[in-house]
Amino acid sequence: MKSQDFKELIIRSLDSESDPEMASGKLEEAGVTYRFREGFTERVIDKIFTAGDSVVREIEFVRSLNSVFYRIALTGVAAIVLLMISIFIVQGSLSMDSFLGIGNTNDESILYLLTGN
Amino acid sequence: MIKESYREKSENELVVASLDGDKQAFGEIVTRYQNMVARTVKSMLGDSVFSEDIGQDVFIKLFHSLSDFRGEAKLSTYIQKIAVNLTLNEIKRRKRFFSTFSQKGNNEMYEFEVADYETEEKKEASELISKALGSLDPKFRIIVAMRMLQGYSTKETAEILDLPLGTVLSRLSRGQEQMKNVLRKL
Repeated sequence: MKSQDFKELIIRSLDSESDPEMASGKLEEAGVTYRFREGFTERVIDKIFTAGDSVVREIEFVRSLNSVFYRIALTGVAAIVLLMISIFIVQGSLSMDSFLGIGNTNDESILYLLTGN
Repeated sequence: MIKESYREKSENELVVASLDGDKQAFGEIVTRYQNMVARTVKSMLGDSVFSEDIGQDVFIKLFHSLSDFRGEAKLSTYIQKIAVNLTLNEIKRRKRFFSTFSQKGNNEMYEFEVADYETEEKKEASELISKALGSLDPKFRIIVAMRMLQGYSTKETAEILDLPLGTVLSRLSRGQEQMKNVLRKL
């Protein structure tokens, strides 16, 4: 099939009315074939079954990393909650000033702390 | 080599045997669907050796997710979904890579190597279709390729790509139009 004829065939197969199955069949007949190299199956099987151990180890590593992450995250959340409770008990509120530790101070005392006068 | 007896087994029998670690059974699945995967991957990424790596990844991912396959859909649809996802991920990865390290355009993302074709005509045909497909935006290319090269209906394409039917229809129509224009210029 000449290049121009083949171009026409592709353009016809692109028409919305064309039957997709028939169009793909015609293109295959004309030589549009996509294949992997010989021995593809064997290469895939080798990759899966020889790399099996490393894949298992990788999965185990990800799993343990996940559990460590949750433990650290839970400990962090517990620490934040405890901190908030203690701030509330000491300062009497949970405002921004209480968090910064300046909830019960006034301008004079800060000035005194800074200048010593 | 895969034993002859596996060729007559049904999809479900092969899946069950593969889950038990039967290499031959999984090999038969790979043999049955490798051309379908090749069409999806190579039409999207270009006909190069790198596409074969993605093809291999498709079956490796399939093997590790076989336990999730419940048999509600056809195995071919399940494999096709994996192939489409891995291919689109690879396109995204290449896009990121080329936008970071290269000033060249999108054409670089679509690789084409001259493989061993039986005749000069077949080589020309493959080159022509690869050039035309490669010029399309990936979101149009996947739909056009699935319909034109794989013979999927728009409904099947929508199911595999998890897209609404209307979106598939509009992208198909725009993709087909763009491809016709490109072909007329080639």
